Amino acid sequence: MEPLLRLQGISVNFAGLRALDNVTFDAHAGEVRAVIGPNGAGKTTLFNAISGYVPASGGAIHFKGEPIHGLAPHDISVKGVRRTFQNGGLFPEMTTLENILAGLHVNIESSIFGIVFGSKEAREAEREGIARARRLLDLMDLGATADQPAKDLSGGQQRMVEIVRTLATDPPLLLLDEPVVGLSPPMRDRMMEIIRRLAGEEGIGIMLIEHVIDLVMSGSDIIVVLNSGQLIAEGRPEEVRQNREVLEAYLGHV
Amino acid sequence: MNETLIPAPTRASVSMTRWRRMYYLVPIVALVIPFLANEYLLWVVNAILVYVLVTIGFNLIIGNLGQLAFANTAFFGIGSYTTAILMVYLGVPYVIAIVGSALAGGLAGFLASVTALRGIRLYYLAIITLAFGELMRWVYLHGDKVTMGSDGLLLPPAFFFGLPLDSEVPKFYVFLALTVVVVKATSNLMRSRVGRAIVAVRDNEAATASLGIHTARYIVLAFVWSGSVVGIAGAMFAVLTERILPEAFGLTEVIIHFGMVLVGGTGSIVGSVLGAIALTALPEYFRQFPGMDELFFGIIIVLILLFLPKGLVSLLCRISPVFNERYYRD
Repeated sequence: MEPLLRLQGISVNFAGLRALDNVTFDAHAGEVRAVIGPNGAGKTTLFNAISGYVPASGGAIHFKGEPIHGLAPHDISVKGVRRTFQNGGLFPEMTTLENILAGLHVNIESSIFGIVFGSKEAREAEREGIARARRLLDLMDLGATADQPAKDLSGGQQRMVEIVRTLATDPPLLLLDEPVVGLSPPMRDRMMEIIRRLAGEEGIGIMLIEHVIDLVMSGSDIIVVLNSGQLIAEGRPEEVRQNREVLEAYLGHV
Repeated sequence: MNETLIPAPTRASVSMTRWRRMYYLVPIVALVIPFLANEYLLWVVNAILVYVLVTIGFNLIIGNLGQLAFANTAFFGIGSYTTAILMVYLGVPYVIAIVGSALAGGLAGFLASVTALRGIRLYYLAIITLAFGELMRWVYLHGDKVTMGSDGLLLPPAFFFGLPLDSEVPKFYVFLALTVVVVKATSNLMRSRVGRAIVAVRDNEAATASLGIHTARYIVLAFVWSGSVVGIAGAMFAVLTERILPEAFGLTEVIIHFGMVLVGGTGSIVGSVLGAIALTALPEYFRQFPGMDELFFGIIIVLILLFLPKGLVSLLCRISPVFNERYYRD
């Protein structure tokens, strides 16, 4: 089966510092793939390289067989790789509904002239967008928050809205940067359950960065371990758990 | 995800839409103003209409796009001089001159956007755009073979589709029509995917790109639209004053434009209208206290910003959420 995402020898340099060093792996549809590693291991840099926010200094990235390295972030997003941000990527002054509508931007087909002159087509496209955004919010039990500014939502709701926003265009691949950080344990479990369902039922490929090792072990299909920019292990949770190099990276020499 | 069920509009959304239609009453009621006001008052009303567009254009950059770009007086001056030069030297009809001013303002907006696209932001963008405004004033002063420098460029009689704009009454009806069309078009733009993309850039540019939105395109679009709107205001200003002077586009004017945006409320079209009304009408009112008028004007701005930091529009929002442009219910 052709992989959804293929990384071949990806390296990223920051002013002499090698943040990613020759990272190679494949990610597949319907799979939850966790990226773990100590602080500074290069996890977020890996996401930034895949989604076009930092240029790779070497290597190739293919999405559905097509090269995407060197493309701008918005082009990579349009191709179907969508992401969330570690520090939250919501637009705080916009309402929940507007945030989802912004996520639907590329699906709302209206010309600038149509919009300016208030054409029937433009208004219809906007109405359809609003109806779809409301349905997405209702599916995730967020309908009641539709008209609240995003900054007034709880931390858990904000994480959920951000994930719904990335899902709005039915992307084949999601990159979730610490999706459960700051959530209460029950909310964490609920979030992981939703992530598992998205992969299992919708067939979305999901990569996530996570620090809570229990969740990673129970919730992911494959774990990729980074340390100092290098991939030191890749495998199923039970394999990675036994890996000597991984234990050393986390606990120091044993 | 399943596509079948479209939720029926709620009671709140229906009444919200109906209330928003009340906006259309404002210009209709305004039609009676010439029957109630004398020539001087009507001049003030016409100035308000000019400044409504000036503030709406500026607010788009400051409030919606969230960029500290102060090129607004440059757009305003370029709009005014374009209309004047086209009419004086080329004998172009006023209607065409307005289009020329919109295009020239849009071009100036495009130039201003290039600085923002090059990653120049915040104070750096502020000082560069202020310098752009001063540079344009230098051009008006020293390009005196064309602009007549500090003597000012005198406008020939203007006609709007044959209607002579020789007094405040015909100017009022033409300005009102132009203002309504531009405000409605800007409102349509802001309440669409385009307006959301512009605000998204303000709130979180990296996240905006992650949604497939070409951020640079919307930064340019916001500046070009802002420049065109203020350029049209400049074309109106030319006919209002009938003599274009470089002093009209100096740093004091920047402060007045900025004050209108803040006093009205950032990122709000209703706020822009309120800010333009307040800061055009009040100085005229204070003229009866010579020597104290600027003091009163300053105190009013300070008081409004101290007690209504979100501008006059926040007063209206307390009365009804209809005035809150966040509502996307229709």
